[in-house]
Amino acid sequence: MRTKATAIGAALAALAVLCAMFATSASAAPAWKFEGKSLEGTETVLGGAIESSMTIPGLTTKCENFLYKLTVENSAGTGKGSVTEVPLYNCTTNSKACIVEKIGAEKLPWASKLTTVSTTPYIIIEGVKVAILYEGEECVLGETLVTVTGSAGGSIDNSKETATFNSSTLSASGTELKALGQKIEWNGLFPTEAFQWHREQALSVS
Amino acid sequence: MAQRTGAKRFLAPPAKSASAGVALALALAALCLAGCGGGSSDGETTAAGAGAADSAGAAGQAPGATAQAQGAKGGSGESPGEAGHSGGASGSDPSQGAGGGAGQKQGPRIAAPKGPREQAPTSDQIAQATVADMSLESPAIVAAAGRPGTLAAPYTCDGKDSWPAFKWGGIPAGTAELIFYAMNVQPVEEQLFVDWAVAGIDPDSKGIEAGELPKGAIVGTNGFGNRGYSLCPSGAGEIYMFAIYALPQPLSPPKGFDARELRHRILDVSGNVGLLPAVYARG
Repeated sequence: MRTKATAIGAALAALAVLCAMFATSASAAPAWKFEGKSLEGTETVLGGAIESSMTIPGLTTKCENFLYKLTVENSAGTGKGSVTEVPLYNCTTNSKACIVEKIGAEKLPWASKLTTVSTTPYIIIEGVKVAILYEGEECVLGETLVTVTGSAGGSIDNSKETATFNSSTLSASGTELKALGQKIEWNGLFPTEAFQWHREQALSVS
Repeated sequence: MAQRTGAKRFLAPPAKSASAGVALALALAALCLAGCGGGSSDGETTAAGAGAADSAGAAGQAPGATAQAQGAKGGSGESPGEAGHSGGASGSDPSQGAGGGAGQKQGPRIAAPKGPREQAPTSDQIAQATVADMSLESPAIVAAAGRPGTLAAPYTCDGKDSWPAFKWGGIPAGTAELIFYAMNVQPVEEQLFVDWAVAGIDPDSKGIEAGELPKGAIVGTNGFGNRGYSLCPSGAGEIYMFAIYALPQPLSPPKGFDARELRHRILDVSGNVGLLPAVYARG
């Protein structure tokens, strides 16, 4: 009898430990915060890339204005979001021969979520799809439609309110963007500032 | 409060259209700016938002950003368009006023685009384009860690100057002819430089063996003026693009065809292509 009671006690203790672990895990999931308080409801984060470029080997494509609109919310304590618009302006390549005839984000909205990689908060953008039509008679990609697809993870710097995307952050977050059947480089530095209900409030992720 | 990185770099973008989202966004911007009593003194303007400015909806020529700028500057300047009016009207609703009366508060600023918003290719343009949706691989060119694959010296004039094996996939049904190209990514003297062009490849084939021409192959004249293959950079290295074009109609060029000229014809027939970039660095 005593043995049975001990076993039940041990099982309960184990269950308690599991519950505690689960609770800790849940609370550790990164969430959107304004002035240190978790976001309730939704907020719109928008801005324009401070810098951004995408490189298919030998051909770098840049947009003078790479804007975005991201709707964010916390769901069960975890930050999620949705990239709803990605207006691009004045896109060019580093080759005189190659013109960006058309470029646009497709399959919007792109889902996003927050996660933590080695204590650093990350935002993961999923379902990315950008279609680019290059022109130029002497361009190696002239009259060719190239589609960039995949997901991208960017590290969030709470002190600067920015998200950084590069080959390191994509690798660290286990994400990749592909074109021409292989990984491509994408470098971007984006400010993360609220536009709607929390304007001018410090946005952080933790 | 955290540092507003990049905030002063941003101006408001022009809106091409208006929607409920635009109205809400502009309302907020207008309310905030009214509360501010003016815009920034450095010529920058608080943004209604990238997305707001570009939301789908009724086309409007007057940019939302202009409307905001007017708000910031006391309403002077051009008459705001539909988007601007929407914003202004909604802006009177205090329930919208996240930033209303918020003293010097300003939201994110977006660099003012100087040109029209880029657009995704239309279905007509896609139909006329050469679509890069086929696969092209080579065991000699393996990309790693997000970097393009490198090409070893034996495949250049520093070695045997002979091609590696390639295999391709995803050839569309109805393809009449395959044509293989090797090109420099960067033009030479402002012209596309073709290193190798092979037409007449059987559309049912799956690849090319290293150093062996496929049956029925028609070899063109490359940028060096030779009928054959040669990857020979003039400097320390080169980035090459290998391409397998799948054509819906045969071009069947003559032996020794002009590779540059044929490529124009290839692009005109709007087929599909598999592309494989590779980097060769000497030394």
